[in-house]
Amino acid sequence: MLYDLFILPLTEPYFQKALIGGCIVAIVAGVVGCLVVLRRMAFLGDALSHAMIAGVAGGYLVMKLLFGLEAHAPGMLLGSLLAAIATVALISFVARISRVKEDTAIGIMYTGIFALGVVVVSIFRHYIHIDLMHFIMGDILGVADTDLWVSAFAGAFVLSLLILFFRHFQLATFDPVMAASIGLPVLLLDYLLTTCVSLVVVSAVSMVGVILVVGLLITPAATAYLLSDRLDRMMWLAALFGTTSIIGGLYLCVWLDSAGGGAIMLFCTLQFLVVLTVAPKYGLLARWLRLRSLIPQQVVEDILTTILRYDRPTPLSIIRTYVESGKGLQRALSRMVRDNLLEASEDGYRLTAAGRQEADKVLRAHRLWEAYLATIGTPAREVHSTAHQLEHLGGEAVEYLDEKLGQPKVGPHGNPIP
Amino acid sequence: MAAEKRWVIEVEHLTVSYQARPALLDVSVRIEGDQLVGVIGPNGAGKSTFIKAILGFVKPDIGSVRINGRDARTVKGEVAYVPQRGTVDWDFPITVEEVAVMGRYQQIPWYRSPTAVDREAAREALAMVRMEDLSHRQIGELSGGQQQRVFMARALAQGSDILLLDEPFAGVDAATERAILDVLERAKQAGKTLVVVHHDLSTAAEYFDKLILIKQRLYAYGPPGTVLREDLLSKVYEGRLRIFSSVIDQEGA
Repeated sequence: MLYDLFILPLTEPYFQKALIGGCIVAIVAGVVGCLVVLRRMAFLGDALSHAMIAGVAGGYLVMKLLFGLEAHAPGMLLGSLLAAIATVALISFVARISRVKEDTAIGIMYTGIFALGVVVVSIFRHYIHIDLMHFIMGDILGVADTDLWVSAFAGAFVLSLLILFFRHFQLATFDPVMAASIGLPVLLLDYLLTTCVSLVVVSAVSMVGVILVVGLLITPAATAYLLSDRLDRMMWLAALFGTTSIIGGLYLCVWLDSAGGGAIMLFCTLQFLVVLTVAPKYGLLARWLRLRSLIPQQVVEDILTTILRYDRPTPLSIIRTYVESGKGLQRALSRMVRDNLLEASEDGYRLTAAGRQEADKVLRAHRLWEAYLATIGTPAREVHSTAHQLEHLGGEAVEYLDEKLGQPKVGPHGNPIP
Repeated sequence: MAAEKRWVIEVEHLTVSYQARPALLDVSVRIEGDQLVGVIGPNGAGKSTFIKAILGFVKPDIGSVRINGRDARTVKGEVAYVPQRGTVDWDFPITVEEVAVMGRYQQIPWYRSPTAVDREAAREALAMVRMEDLSHRQIGELSGGQQQRVFMARALAQGSDILLLDEPFAGVDAATERAILDVLERAKQAGKTLVVVHHDLSTAAEYFDKLILIKQRLYAYGPPGTVLREDLLSKVYEGRLRIFSSVIDQEGA
């Protein structure tokens, strides 16, 4: 049973090729994707992949008409690279010289060039045989040997560039101003990175298709981003998550008999969601736990004043009546004992010296607010409750009131202001 | 010759424009070494263009900027830059120590990795700003003042004699401001020249040895007492701020 599920697919050549090709592409895409994510150029990957079809069609056509070569792979690859670079150039040109902003320029250019590709492919359908569906959806289970070689070379080239110039890319991404000030060729690095992204996209499109390739570029990187505080570690993890997406996705595709590209990206996205939930530092669960353990300052202050007003060891039941706080009360109390604001004894909680001081501060704020509210004509029955809300305001509020009211010694109800 | 050597930054007749709008107009100023210089002026006065010119990023319409006697646009790394806090991506996956090591990148050839020597230099710089205990934190976990100090450390690790700081005191509380100022003072004592963009006139006199007052053109350069004069300030700020009188009073007292 297990053998059928896990080992049997491995004996099939198509599965082996898919696994090898997919892993190469996913590793490189993951590593490059880190820089794409950090530079917020995710949309660019999308633009490049869509522009490719025009390049592939162009490359095919030129090779066929000029040299009579049918489906010449290097020609199509070169064509897609040129199309990718042309797209990027057009995008930045339009964004720079017109009032149209970059995101809009990207949207215009990639749909436009994609459309051009579709039109060219359909006009010349008797000359060139490009399967648009294959292009859009990809076909990882039908990876040809040439595709494998192309992605291996492209991947090796991109990876060596990124490893060699890791620091340069890191600095140019993190702080382009400093990078330029120490003489790094920032613009050249930008172009180099764009070329790398194009290469990765070009070699990945035949496997996962135009639409999903951007996911392979950014999802593993974003997953790694949630787990790392260093760029090198993020790149390692992104490569790892890319690989697991391919392996998991391919098995999913074989078991469910589904489309390969879809299964891979589905697995990749699920993987992201899992990490998003459980990541120890930047995950949702961790965030929720942090928020939960946070005790609102308002609760602390309400507890302090309640005990101060009660003026003797205060049992929990009394505090519960006056302090509005759901289940967090017990936790707040024990935290305050730990912070040395309260002392717990048998008959209840008592203020420590530090607690007393804090409580006086809040009480003072409360009475000053009451005095202020009375002077501006707040109805008497609202004075206390409104002051109760406002007493938690921080900053200069209290001192301002004190000054404005002429440093009163007693509140409107005749209570002394500490 | 010996007299000339004293000027670390020489700006001469510098005019810079963006699409027919002058950002700087005929600015000439010579800054001596080993001091803390504040650059003040209203928003849009060309303060950041001035900084960019010293970094050698802008192409002047006319005029020149010389760093230690050489053209700012050709020398690289003689001036270290501390960016404004708002321009940094604090979620970037990078630790305090790595930022400091970046200061050494210029000295490291491209085929080599940072060595123990580089890391030691970075740690020294972090110690100078009292941040060595937090060296493995991700930069987003630090407070505003600590973040500022990390970038100070990076600038110190660069080993440049001139440090440019863009609004280091923006958005930090008074205690933090003190801590940053302390670092600036110590950098000055270590023989650095610091040029700091500053917007708070009420502290300018206290913090800086000299002030540069610009609004497109240079209005004054000199000790705070000669720059914070009512006639100059009202001309530059066009009566938009009323607190000058108190600033000037303090200065006069």
